Amino acid sequence: MIEATFPLLGTAFVVLIVLPAFALLAKAGLVMLERDEVGGPLHGLNLRYVLLTGSSALPVAWLLSAGLHQAETGKSALACLLDHDTAELCFEPGFFALMLAGAILAASIGVIRRHRGVRASSSDAARTLLRRVTRIIASDPVLASLRDRVVVTDDDGFALGTHGLLKPRVFVGTAFAARLSDEMLASALGHEAEHVRALDPLRYLILQLALAVNPFGRFMLEPHAARWQAAREAHCDREAVILGAAPLPLADAIVRAARPGAREVVALGARDTAVLKFRIGMLLAFSERAPARCCHQGPSAFPVAFVLLLIALLLPHQTGTAALDVLHTGAEHALTYFWR
Amino acid sequence: MTFRLRAGKKGLELRLHDLEATIMDVVWGKQLSSFAVGDVLAILEKQRDIAYTTVMTTVTRLYEKGILERERDGKRYLYSPKLTREEFLQSTAREVLDEAVGGHQAMAMLAEKVSEASAGELDDLEALIQKRREELDA
Repeated sequence: MIEATFPLLGTAFVVLIVLPAFALLAKAGLVMLERDEVGGPLHGLNLRYVLLTGSSALPVAWLLSAGLHQAETGKSALACLLDHDTAELCFEPGFFALMLAGAILAASIGVIRRHRGVRASSSDAARTLLRRVTRIIASDPVLASLRDRVVVTDDDGFALGTHGLLKPRVFVGTAFAARLSDEMLASALGHEAEHVRALDPLRYLILQLALAVNPFGRFMLEPHAARWQAAREAHCDREAVILGAAPLPLADAIVRAARPGAREVVALGARDTAVLKFRIGMLLAFSERAPARCCHQGPSAFPVAFVLLLIALLLPHQTGTAALDVLHTGAEHALTYFWR
Repeated sequence: MTFRLRAGKKGLELRLHDLEATIMDVVWGKQLSSFAVGDVLAILEKQRDIAYTTVMTTVTRLYEKGILERERDGKRYLYSPKLTREEFLQSTAREVLDEAVGGHQAMAMLAEKVSEASAGELDDLEALIQKRREELDA
Protein backbone atom coordinates (compact mmCIF):
# COMPACT_ATOMS: atom_id res chain seq x y z
CA MET A 1 0.00 0.00 0.00
CA ILE A 2 1.31 3.43 -0.85
CA GLU A 3 2.25 5.22 2.36
CA ALA A 4 0.81 8.49 1.13
CA THR A 5 -2.68 7.04 0.73
CA PHE A 6 -4.01 7.87 4.14
CA PRO A 7 -2.42 11.33 4.47
CA LEU A 8 -3.77 12.36 1.05
CA LEU A 9 -7.14 10.62 0.90
CA GLY A 10 -7.79 11.14 4.61
CA THR A 11 -7.26 14.89 4.29
CA ALA A 12 -9.47 15.00 1.20
CA PHE A 13 -12.16 13.04 3.06
CA VAL A 14 -12.02 15.51 5.95
CA VAL A 15 -12.31 18.52 3.63
CA LEU A 16 -14.93 17.02 1.32
CA ILE A 17 -17.11 15.09 3.77
CA VAL A 18 -16.36 15.61 7.48
CA LEU A 19 -16.25 19.41 7.61
CA PRO A 20 -19.31 19.93 5.37
CA ALA A 21 -21.20 17.40 7.54
CA PHE A 22 -20.36 19.41 10.65
CA ALA A 23 -21.34 22.60 8.81
CA LEU A 24 -24.72 21.00 8.08
CA LEU A 25 -25.20 20.16 11.76
CA ALA A 26 -24.21 23.69 12.76
CA LYS A 27 -26.60 25.10 10.19
CA ALA A 28 -29.46 23.12 11.72
CA GLY A 29 -28.63 24.59 15.14
CA LEU A 30 -28.32 28.10 13.72
CA VAL A 31 -31.65 27.88 11.92
CA MET A 32 -33.34 26.88 15.18
CA LEU A 33 -31.66 29.69 17.11
CA GLU A 34 -32.49 32.29 14.47
CA ARG A 35 -36.12 31.15 14.44
CA ASP A 36 -36.39 32.02 18.11
CA GLU A 37 -38.10 35.37 17.80
CA VAL A 38 -37.83 36.26 21.47
CA GLY A 39 -35.25 39.00 21.55
CA GLY A 40 -35.08 39.30 17.78
CA PRO A 41 -31.91 38.98 15.73
CA LEU A 42 -29.62 39.99 18.59
CA HIS A 43 -30.57 36.86 20.50
CA GLY A 44 -27.96 34.20 21.29
CA LEU A 45 -25.04 35.91 19.58
CA ASN A 46 -22.41 34.00 21.56
CA LEU A 47 -24.01 30.61 21.01
CA ARG A 48 -24.37 31.31 17.31
CA TYR A 49 -20.70 32.30 17.17
CA VAL A 50 -19.62 29.06 18.87
CA LEU A 51 -21.66 27.05 16.36
CA LEU A 52 -20.24 28.97 13.40
CA THR A 53 -16.62 28.57 14.43
CA GLY A 54 -16.83 25.28 16.33
CA SER A 55 -18.20 23.39 13.33
CA SER A 56 -14.78 23.74 11.69
CA ALA A 57 -12.44 24.17 14.65
CA LEU A 58 -13.58 21.23 16.78
CA PRO A 59 -13.36 18.40 14.21
CA VAL A 60 -10.07 19.76 12.90
CA ALA A 61 -8.66 19.99 16.42
CA TRP A 62 -9.76 16.43 17.21
CA LEU A 63 -8.30 15.02 13.99
CA LEU A 64 -4.99 16.86 14.41
CA SER A 65 -4.72 15.74 18.01
CA ALA A 66 -5.65 12.15 17.14
CA GLY A 67 -3.08 12.05 14.33
CA LEU A 68 -0.35 13.39 16.56
CA HIS A 69 -1.39 11.08 19.38
CA GLN A 70 -1.00 8.02 17.18
CA ALA A 71 2.35 9.26 15.90
CA GLU A 72 3.70 10.21 19.32
CA THR A 73 3.05 6.78 20.83
CA GLY A 74 5.91 5.45 18.70
CA LYS A 75 3.79 2.63 17.37
CA SER A 76 1.29 2.62 14.66
CA ALA A 77 -2.41 2.94 14.95
CA LEU A 78 -4.48 -0.20 14.96
CA ALA A 79 -5.39 0.34 11.34
CA CYS A 80 -1.77 0.95 10.46
CA LEU A 81 -0.69 -2.29 12.12
CA LEU A 82 -3.40 -4.32 10.44
CA ASP A 83 -2.52 -3.10 7.00
CA HIS A 84 1.26 -3.03 7.46
CA ASP A 85 1.84 -5.87 9.85
CA THR A 86 5.50 -6.02 9.06
CA ALA A 87 6.11 -2.39 9.85
CA GLU A 88 7.32 -1.71 13.37
CA LEU A 89 6.62 1.97 13.11
CA CYS A 90 4.06 3.68 11.02
CA PHE A 91 4.06 7.43 10.78
CA GLU A 92 1.09 7.75 8.50
CA PRO A 93 -1.12 9.34 11.17
CA GLY A 94 1.65 11.86 11.77
CA PHE A 95 1.85 12.61 8.04
CA PHE A 96 -1.92 12.88 7.95
CA ALA A 97 -1.81 15.45 10.76
CA LEU A 98 0.90 17.35 8.91
CA MET A 99 -1.04 17.24 5.64
CA LEU A 100 -4.20 18.44 7.37
CA ALA A 101 -2.31 21.24 9.10
CA GLY A 102 -0.80 22.21 5.73
CA ALA A 103 -4.23 22.32 4.09
CA ILE A 104 -5.57 24.49 6.91
CA LEU A 105 -2.58 26.81 6.67
CA ALA A 106 -3.01 27.15 2.90
CA ALA A 107 -6.70 27.98 3.31
CA SER A 108 -5.90 30.52 6.03
CA ILE A 109 -3.25 32.45 4.14
CA GLY A 110 -5.78 34.40 2.07
CA VAL A 111 -7.71 35.47 5.17
CA ILE A 112 -4.57 36.51 7.03
CA ARG A 113 -3.35 38.49 4.01
CA ARG A 114 -6.66 40.36 3.82
CA HIS A 115 -6.33 41.25 7.48
CA ARG A 116 -4.17 44.27 6.75
CA GLY A 117 -3.20 46.70 9.44
CA VAL A 118 -3.64 50.45 9.46
CA ARG A 119 -0.71 52.82 9.61
CA ALA A 120 -0.62 55.45 12.34
CA SER A 121 0.11 59.02 11.22
CA SER A 122 1.89 61.89 12.91
CA SER A 123 1.03 64.78 10.60
CA ASP A 124 -0.27 68.09 11.96
CA ALA A 125 -3.82 67.07 11.09
CA ALA A 126 -3.33 63.76 12.89
CA ARG A 127 -1.93 65.44 16.01
CA THR A 128 -4.83 67.91 16.06
CA LEU A 129 -7.33 65.08 15.76
CA LEU A 130 -5.60 63.09 18.49
CA ARG A 131 -5.88 66.08 20.85
CA ARG A 132 -9.58 66.37 19.96
CA VAL A 133 -10.20 62.67 20.56
CA THR A 134 -8.27 62.77 23.84
CA ARG A 135 -10.40 65.71 25.01
CA ILE A 136 -13.62 63.87 24.06
CA ILE A 137 -12.51 60.71 25.89
CA ALA A 138 -11.45 62.68 28.96
CA SER A 139 -14.85 64.40 29.15
CA ASP A 140 -16.85 61.17 28.94
CA PRO A 141 -16.29 58.57 31.68
CA VAL A 142 -17.96 55.90 29.54
CA LEU A 143 -15.10 56.18 27.05
CA ALA A 144 -12.43 55.79 29.74
CA SER A 145 -11.62 52.30 28.45
CA LEU A 146 -10.35 53.88 25.23
CA ARG A 147 -7.73 56.01 27.00
CA ASP A 148 -4.40 55.46 25.19
CA ARG A 149 -6.17 53.10 22.83
CA VAL A 150 -6.94 55.50 19.99
CA VAL A 151 -4.66 55.85 17.00
CA VAL A 152 -5.06 58.41 14.23
CA THR A 153 -4.41 57.72 10.56
CA ASP A 154 -4.28 59.94 7.48
CA ASP A 155 -5.37 57.02 5.28
CA ASP A 156 -8.11 58.61 3.14
CA GLY A 157 -9.94 55.33 2.66
CA PHE A 158 -10.29 54.69 6.36
CA ALA A 159 -13.20 55.88 8.50
CA LEU A 160 -13.16 54.46 11.98
CA GLY A 161 -12.47 50.94 13.13
CA THR A 162 -10.98 48.64 15.70
CA HIS A 163 -7.83 46.71 14.89
CA GLY A 164 -5.52 44.49 16.88
CA LEU A 165 -6.19 40.96 17.98
CA LEU A 166 -5.16 40.74 21.62
CA LYS A 167 -4.86 44.43 22.42
CA PRO A 168 -7.32 46.10 20.07
CA ARG A 169 -7.06 49.81 19.38
CA VAL A 170 -9.44 52.19 17.71
CA PHE A 171 -8.16 53.82 14.52
CA VAL A 172 -9.72 57.10 13.42
CA GLY A 173 -9.26 58.56 9.94
CA THR A 174 -8.52 62.29 9.90
CA ALA A 175 -10.65 62.95 6.78
CA PHE A 176 -13.60 61.06 8.25
CA ALA A 177 -13.35 62.68 11.67
CA ALA A 178 -13.33 66.13 10.05
CA ARG A 179 -16.88 65.42 8.84
CA LEU A 180 -18.15 64.57 12.33
CA SER A 181 -19.21 66.81 15.18
CA ASP A 182 -17.80 66.08 18.64
CA GLU A 183 -21.06 64.45 19.63
CA MET A 184 -21.01 62.17 16.58
CA LEU A 185 -17.39 61.25 17.22
CA ALA A 186 -18.08 60.50 20.89
CA SER A 187 -21.03 58.25 19.95
CA ALA A 188 -18.95 56.49 17.30
CA LEU A 189 -16.17 55.90 19.83
CA GLY A 190 -18.82 54.46 22.17
CA HIS A 191 -19.71 51.93 19.46
CA GLU A 192 -16.04 51.05 18.99
CA ALA A 193 -15.53 50.73 22.76
CA GLU A 194 -17.82 47.70 22.70
CA HIS A 195 -15.76 46.17 19.86
CA VAL A 196 -12.62 46.74 21.96
CA ARG A 197 -14.15 45.29 25.11
CA ALA A 198 -15.32 42.16 23.33
CA LEU A 199 -12.10 41.63 21.27
CA ASP A 200 -14.19 41.73 18.12
CA PRO A 201 -11.30 41.89 15.62
CA LEU A 202 -10.12 38.54 17.02
CA ARG A 203 -13.67 37.16 16.86
CA TYR A 204 -14.09 38.28 13.26
CA LEU A 205 -10.72 36.83 12.23
CA ILE A 206 -11.45 33.46 13.84
CA LEU A 207 -14.85 33.40 12.13
CA GLN A 208 -13.29 34.09 8.74
CA LEU A 209 -10.62 31.42 9.34
CA ALA A 210 -13.27 28.89 10.38
CA LEU A 211 -15.14 29.50 7.13
CA ALA A 212 -11.96 29.48 5.05
CA VAL A 213 -10.83 26.03 6.23
CA ASN A 214 -14.18 24.57 5.22
CA PRO A 215 -14.31 25.43 1.50
CA PHE A 216 -17.10 22.95 0.71
CA GLY A 217 -19.21 23.67 3.79
CA ARG A 218 -18.85 27.41 4.07
CA PHE A 219 -21.64 28.17 1.62
CA MET A 220 -24.07 26.67 4.15
CA LEU A 221 -22.82 28.90 6.95
CA GLU A 222 -22.06 32.18 5.18
CA PRO A 223 -25.59 33.64 5.34
CA HIS A 224 -25.66 32.87 9.08
CA ALA A 225 -22.18 34.35 9.56
CA ALA A 226 -23.17 37.53 7.76
CA ARG A 227 -26.36 37.80 9.81
CA TRP A 228 -24.35 37.24 12.97
CA GLN A 229 -21.91 39.99 11.96
CA ALA A 230 -24.71 42.43 11.14
CA ALA A 231 -26.39 41.63 14.46
CA ARG A 232 -23.07 42.09 16.25
CA GLU A 233 -22.76 45.61 14.80
CA ALA A 234 -26.33 46.37 15.88
CA HIS A 235 -25.50 45.01 19.33
CA CYS A 236 -22.56 47.44 19.58
CA ASP A 237 -24.90 50.32 18.62
CA ARG A 238 -27.30 49.27 21.35
CA GLU A 239 -24.58 48.90 23.98
CA ALA A 240 -23.17 52.31 23.08
CA VAL A 241 -26.60 53.94 23.53
CA ILE A 242 -27.23 52.09 26.80
CA LEU A 243 -23.93 53.42 28.12
CA GLY A 244 -24.82 56.97 27.18
CA ALA A 245 -24.05 57.56 23.50
CA ALA A 246 -26.56 59.80 21.74
CA PRO A 247 -28.52 57.67 19.22
CA LEU A 248 -29.07 60.27 16.50
CA PRO A 249 -25.44 61.44 16.31
CA LEU A 250 -24.41 57.78 16.19
CA ALA A 251 -26.89 57.20 13.34
CA ASP A 252 -25.44 60.21 11.56
CA ALA A 253 -21.89 58.92 12.01
CA ILE A 254 -22.87 55.48 10.67
CA VAL A 255 -24.39 56.99 7.53
CA ARG A 256 -21.35 59.21 7.00
CA ALA A 257 -19.02 56.25 7.44
CA ALA A 258 -20.92 54.51 4.66
CA ARG A 259 -20.13 57.28 2.17
CA PRO A 260 -17.70 56.33 -0.59
CA GLY A 261 -14.11 56.53 0.48
CA ALA A 262 -14.55 55.00 3.88
CA ARG A 263 -13.81 51.28 3.88
CA GLU A 264 -14.14 49.54 7.18
CA VAL A 265 -16.02 46.45 8.18
CA VAL A 266 -15.18 45.99 11.87
CA ALA A 267 -16.49 49.49 12.40
CA LEU A 268 -19.32 51.84 11.83
CA GLY A 269 -19.28 51.48 8.11
CA ALA A 270 -20.99 48.20 7.28
CA ARG A 271 -22.47 49.61 4.12
CA ASP A 272 -24.96 46.96 3.17
CA THR A 273 -28.13 48.88 2.44
CA ALA A 274 -30.61 46.78 4.38
CA VAL A 275 -28.30 46.42 7.39
CA LEU A 276 -27.78 50.18 7.43
CA LYS A 277 -31.53 50.76 7.34
CA PHE A 278 -32.07 48.29 10.15
CA ARG A 279 -29.41 49.91 12.35
CA ILE A 280 -30.58 53.44 11.62
CA GLY A 281 -34.18 52.35 12.31
CA MET A 282 -33.11 50.97 15.67
CA LEU A 283 -31.26 54.14 16.58
CA LEU A 284 -34.26 56.27 15.60
CA ALA A 285 -36.33 54.09 17.91
CA PHE A 286 -33.77 54.56 20.69
CA SER A 287 -34.13 58.32 20.30
CA GLU A 288 -37.79 57.92 21.31
CA ARG A 289 -37.24 55.46 24.11
CA ALA A 290 -33.91 54.51 25.65
CA PRO A 291 -33.12 50.83 25.10
CA ALA A 292 -32.78 48.36 27.89
CA ARG A 293 -30.21 45.61 27.82
CA CYS A 294 -31.80 42.83 25.84
CA CYS A 295 -31.35 39.49 24.34
CA HIS A 296 -29.70 36.61 26.10
CA GLN A 297 -26.36 36.24 24.36
CA GLY A 298 -25.65 32.74 25.61
CA PRO A 299 -22.57 31.79 27.60
CA SER A 300 -19.50 33.91 26.98
CA ALA A 301 -18.06 32.97 23.60
CA PHE A 302 -14.31 32.84 24.23
CA PRO A 303 -14.29 30.72 27.43
CA VAL A 304 -16.80 28.26 25.95
CA ALA A 305 -14.83 28.01 22.70
CA PHE A 306 -11.61 27.51 24.67
CA VAL A 307 -13.06 24.73 26.83
CA LEU A 308 -14.57 22.94 23.82
CA LEU A 309 -11.27 23.22 21.94
CA LEU A 310 -9.40 21.82 24.92
CA ILE A 311 -11.82 18.91 25.14
CA ALA A 312 -11.44 18.22 21.42
CA LEU A 313 -7.65 18.24 21.78
CA LEU A 314 -7.58 16.01 24.87
CA LEU A 315 -10.30 13.57 23.87
CA PRO A 316 -8.12 11.39 21.58
CA HIS A 317 -5.62 10.91 24.41
CA GLN A 318 -8.36 9.86 26.84
CA THR A 319 -10.89 7.94 24.81
CA GLY A 320 -8.88 6.62 21.92
CA THR A 321 -8.77 7.36 18.23
CA ALA A 322 -11.10 4.80 16.76
CA ALA A 323 -12.65 7.31 14.38
CA LEU A 324 -9.24 8.06 12.91
CA ASP A 325 -8.66 4.34 12.43
CA VAL A 326 -11.94 4.11 10.53
CA LEU A 327 -10.83 7.02 8.40
CA HIS A 328 -7.45 5.35 7.89
CA THR A 329 -8.76 1.98 6.80
CA GLY A 330 -11.53 3.61 4.80
CA ALA A 331 -9.03 5.66 2.82
CA GLU A 332 -6.91 2.62 2.03
CA HIS A 333 -9.87 0.42 1.15
CA ALA A 334 -11.20 3.14 -1.11
CA LEU A 335 -7.88 3.29 -2.95
CA THR A 336 -7.76 -0.48 -3.26
CA TYR A 337 -11.30 -0.50 -4.62
CA PHE A 338 -10.64 2.16 -7.24
CA TRP A 339 -7.18 0.78 -8.09
CA ARG A 340 -8.57 -2.58 -9.22
CA MET B 1 -46.20 38.68 13.96
CA THR B 2 -44.75 38.56 10.48
CA PHE B 3 -44.85 41.16 7.75
CA ARG B 4 -44.14 40.78 4.08
CA LEU B 5 -41.16 42.88 2.97
CA ARG B 6 -41.84 45.23 0.07
CA ALA B 7 -39.11 45.37 -2.53
CA GLY B 8 -37.59 48.76 -3.30
CA LYS B 9 -38.99 50.40 -0.16
CA LYS B 10 -37.19 52.04 2.75
CA GLY B 11 -37.61 52.23 6.51
CA LEU B 12 -41.09 51.48 7.76
CA GLU B 13 -42.34 51.27 4.19
CA LEU B 14 -40.23 48.15 3.82
CA ARG B 15 -42.91 46.36 5.84
CA LEU B 16 -45.94 48.63 5.74
CA HIS B 17 -47.82 50.25 2.88
CA ASP B 18 -46.98 53.89 2.26
CA LEU B 19 -49.87 55.45 4.15
CA GLU B 20 -49.65 52.87 6.95
CA ALA B 21 -46.00 53.77 7.38
CA THR B 22 -46.79 57.49 7.35
CA ILE B 23 -49.46 57.06 10.02
CA MET B 24 -47.24 54.93 12.25
CA ASP B 25 -44.45 57.47 11.78
CA VAL B 26 -46.84 60.16 13.07
CA VAL B 27 -48.03 57.99 15.96
CA TRP B 28 -44.53 57.04 17.11
CA GLY B 29 -42.90 60.36 16.23
CA LYS B 30 -45.52 62.45 18.08
CA GLN B 31 -45.68 59.81 20.81
CA LEU B 32 -49.47 59.53 20.58
CA SER B 33 -50.34 57.03 23.28
CA SER B 34 -54.09 57.28 22.69
CA PHE B 35 -55.63 58.90 19.66
CA ALA B 36 -58.71 59.06 17.48
CA VAL B 37 -58.70 58.99 13.70
CA GLY B 38 -59.34 62.73 13.71
CA ASP B 39 -56.11 63.40 15.69
CA VAL B 40 -53.99 61.72 13.03
CA LEU B 41 -56.00 63.39 10.27
CA ALA B 42 -55.32 66.81 11.78
CA ILE B 43 -51.57 66.19 11.63
CA LEU B 44 -51.59 64.65 8.16
CA GLU B 45 -53.73 67.43 6.72
CA LYS B 46 -50.88 69.86 7.36
CA GLN B 47 -48.69 67.78 5.05
CA ARG B 48 -51.08 66.65 2.30
CA ASP B 49 -54.66 66.53 1.08
CA ILE B 50 -56.24 63.47 2.58
CA ALA B 51 -59.78 62.30 3.29
CA TYR B 52 -61.06 61.24 6.70
CA THR B 53 -62.28 57.93 5.28
CA THR B 54 -58.83 57.14 3.86
CA VAL B 55 -57.21 57.65 7.25
CA MET B 56 -59.95 55.69 9.00
CA THR B 57 -59.57 52.75 6.60
CA THR B 58 -55.81 52.71 7.03
CA VAL B 59 -55.98 52.98 10.82
CA THR B 60 -58.46 50.09 10.84
CA ARG B 61 -56.05 48.06 8.70
CA LEU B 62 -53.25 48.77 11.17
CA TYR B 63 -55.52 47.58 13.97
CA GLU B 64 -56.29 44.40 12.01
CA LYS B 65 -52.57 43.82 11.48
CA GLY B 66 -52.06 43.97 15.23
CA ILE B 67 -49.95 47.11 15.24
CA LEU B 68 -52.62 49.23 16.93
CA GLU B 69 -55.09 48.31 19.62
CA ARG B 70 -58.34 50.14 20.27
CA GLU B 71 -61.10 50.69 22.76
CA ARG B 72 -64.51 52.23 22.31
CA ASP B 73 -64.94 55.79 23.51
CA GLY B 74 -68.61 56.66 23.01
CA LYS B 75 -69.27 56.65 19.26
CA ARG B 76 -65.64 56.50 18.27
CA TYR B 77 -62.62 54.32 18.81
CA LEU B 78 -59.48 55.42 20.61
CA TYR B 79 -56.37 53.76 19.19
CA SER B 80 -52.99 53.21 20.78
CA PRO B 81 -49.81 51.61 19.44
CA LYS B 82 -49.38 48.02 20.53
CA LEU B 83 -45.66 48.09 19.89
CA THR B 84 -43.00 50.76 20.19
CA ARG B 85 -41.07 51.53 17.04
CA GLU B 86 -38.17 49.48 18.40
CA GLU B 87 -40.35 46.50 19.19
CA PHE B 88 -41.85 46.70 15.72
CA LEU B 89 -38.37 46.76 14.18
CA GLN B 90 -37.25 43.87 16.38
CA SER B 91 -40.27 41.82 15.42
CA THR B 92 -39.43 42.11 11.75
CA ALA B 93 -35.68 42.44 11.93
CA ARG B 94 -35.02 38.83 11.11
CA GLU B 95 -36.80 39.22 7.77
CA VAL B 96 -34.89 42.44 7.14
CA LEU B 97 -31.56 40.80 7.87
CA ASP B 98 -32.52 37.77 5.81
CA GLU B 99 -33.13 40.08 2.91
CA ALA B 100 -29.94 41.96 3.67
CA VAL B 101 -27.45 39.19 3.96
CA GLY B 102 -28.84 36.19 2.19
CA GLY B 103 -26.94 34.33 -0.50
CA HIS B 104 -24.36 36.20 -2.51
CA GLN B 105 -24.58 39.33 -0.43
CA ALA B 106 -23.45 37.34 2.57
CA MET B 107 -20.37 36.18 0.78
CA ALA B 108 -19.67 39.68 -0.39
CA MET B 109 -20.02 41.05 3.09
CA LEU B 110 -17.39 38.74 4.48
CA ALA B 111 -15.14 39.56 1.55
CA GLU B 112 -15.38 43.22 2.60
CA LYS B 113 -17.32 44.16 -0.52
CA VAL B 114 -20.77 44.85 0.80
CA SER B 115 -23.81 45.68 -1.26
CA GLU B 116 -23.19 49.37 -1.00
CA ALA B 117 -25.91 51.89 -0.35
CA SER B 118 -26.20 54.46 -3.11
CA ALA B 119 -25.61 58.16 -2.43
CA GLY B 120 -29.36 58.71 -2.80
CA GLU B 121 -30.17 56.08 -0.19
CA LEU B 122 -27.64 57.57 2.20
CA ASP B 123 -29.15 61.03 1.59
CA ASP B 124 -32.58 59.60 2.44
CA LEU B 125 -31.25 58.09 5.66
CA GLU B 126 -29.65 61.38 6.64
CA ALA B 127 -32.92 63.19 5.92
CA LEU B 128 -34.73 60.66 8.11
CA ILE B 129 -32.34 61.32 10.99
CA GLN B 130 -32.67 65.08 10.51
CA LYS B 131 -36.48 64.79 10.49
CA ARG B 132 -36.41 62.86 13.77
CA ARG B 133 -34.08 65.45 15.27
CA GLU B 134 -36.51 68.22 14.33
CA GLU B 135 -39.44 66.25 15.75
CA LEU B 136 -37.63 65.80 19.04
CA ASP B 137 -36.61 69.47 19.15
CA ALA B 138 -40.20 70.47 18.49
